[in-house]
Amino acid sequence: MVETAPAPLALPSKDRPFTGVVQGSGNDTTGAAGRLELQSGVKDMPLSDVYAVASRDIVFESFDGEAVVLDLSNGKYFGFSDSGSKVWQALSSGVGTEALIRSAAGAAMIDVATLESFIGQLVEFGLLAPSDATPLPSSDDLPAALASAREPLNVSVHDDLADLITVDPIHEVEEPLGWPAVKQVS
Amino acid sequence: MPRVTIETLPDYARFLLAAAESAAAQFPVQRTIRLPGLELIAHLDSGTLADALGHAFVEADGGRRDLRQCRIFIGHPGVGDMPVPASWGDAHFTEHGFAQKLAEAGLRGHHFHDLDFWQVYDPDRRVGVQLMRSADAFPPWEQGAPLRAFLHWEYAARGMRLAHAGTLGLDGKGVLLAGAGGAGKSGTVVAGLLNGLDSVGDDYVLIDLDNGVTARPLFSVLKQDPQGFARLGLERRLGGDRPINWQGKHAFHINEIAPRPMRATLDISALMVPHVSGGKTSSIAPISRKDAIIALAPSGIAQMPGERESGFRFFSDLTRLLPCYRLFLGTHPEEIAGTIANFLARAPDEAERDHAGL
Repeated sequence: MVETAPAPLALPSKDRPFTGVVQGSGNDTTGAAGRLELQSGVKDMPLSDVYAVASRDIVFESFDGEAVVLDLSNGKYFGFSDSGSKVWQALSSGVGTEALIRSAAGAAMIDVATLESFIGQLVEFGLLAPSDATPLPSSDDLPAALASAREPLNVSVHDDLADLITVDPIHEVEEPLGWPAVKQVS
Repeated sequence: MPRVTIETLPDYARFLLAAAESAAAQFPVQRTIRLPGLELIAHLDSGTLADALGHAFVEADGGRRDLRQCRIFIGHPGVGDMPVPASWGDAHFTEHGFAQKLAEAGLRGHHFHDLDFWQVYDPDRRVGVQLMRSADAFPPWEQGAPLRAFLHWEYAARGMRLAHAGTLGLDGKGVLLAGAGGAGKSGTVVAGLLNGLDSVGDDYVLIDLDNGVTARPLFSVLKQDPQGFARLGLERRLGGDRPINWQGKHAFHINEIAPRPMRATLDISALMVPHVSGGKTSSIAPISRKDAIIALAPSGIAQMPGERESGFRFFSDLTRLLPCYRLFLGTHPEEIAGTIANFLARAPDEAERDHAGL
């Protein structure tokens, strides 16, 4: 299992592709037109206004308010913290990024930079993709739900068995050993 | 030798089914296996697999109500007009893509490349074929749980599921033990059986969610590595000359160590995730359902071909129906079994109270 909490605000670099860089300074995320100008942390890649679940292979369930996402194509599981679950639920149902960030304004566990970084992670993991849909407003109870979160934004990746699903057993196994001995890159 | 591609896969699968059905009268052996709600008729050659079919299953008693019949042809080119199995072409292969392509055609299937081993199932007609290069050219795990892929497809089509989990119970009430290999499931099941608890299976059990969570037996085999075999006192009980299987483990059967005849069902009241704690005594503590599903679902889904999304939904429903715990395993089999027996003896509402306090 890999515990993946979003990194604090930092400039993007080769070693830090998703760091939640916000244009402007400090936590001032409001641009000249009064619109949030957001970046995911990927160089020159702004956050999208709205996201959608990246593909039909991304399926998810909720357990007592905590989300678990499975990527059917590679067998990776993603377990979300309580705050992460609420963010996932909002974004995957089409709530606009700007509305989400405004809703998180009063949440002790979520700051803007971390939230942007977290969104970038979800895109990097292939769980979310930018969408052309019209952003939906956040629900009336989302601010309170985010404010009541007890855990920081976090998604843990569980890929212990993913190799068994993703490897091509014809072309990517050690010849004398056969399946499931995966060929190592030398 | 023909080579199959993702495009020709559905046609090849249909070809195999048709070839097997045409050769039905030429299979020398027929075995009928009675399982929960299912009468499986296997047509095959004599040999190791036919022997395995005779002792690997826990056959169901029960009546014929809701009993369905499926036919599986286990063939190779030495049986009548059965074809030589094809190889996969050069295109990139993924289990998911393979399963999806067949599912679009209403079929299920699995291909084990090292042996050109094919399994294809038509869930609508309940007919399947397992084609091998020769009578003994099957993956080593087939002997312990033969035809498990066909059972997986058939039961999945009926809203049930083979779970990769162990079971322990008392007086008809039980717990499901989930976790990846090495988590301590099998050792816990053996410890329980040796100390008065019941089990309806280790490794794979049939789960039904119709009236709560019910576990039923399918396979009778238990396994222990030599260290566990010695630690649990199985050498003294079963003898030290048991052969080692492909995993380097001793294989034996539940009825060799069970305190009484196996029950037909266990009503599952909790999901437990064993953990080898290193402590002397065992303990049980609530865990979140999120953590429990991540322990339960991955191995069950990865080890069974196809039906991934339905498996995720099924295991999610199962997890929501049960209180979930981590079982910290002590070192003494008797103490582990006692801890589980005490847990099962508790009033049902205590478990829910535990969970509500998370």
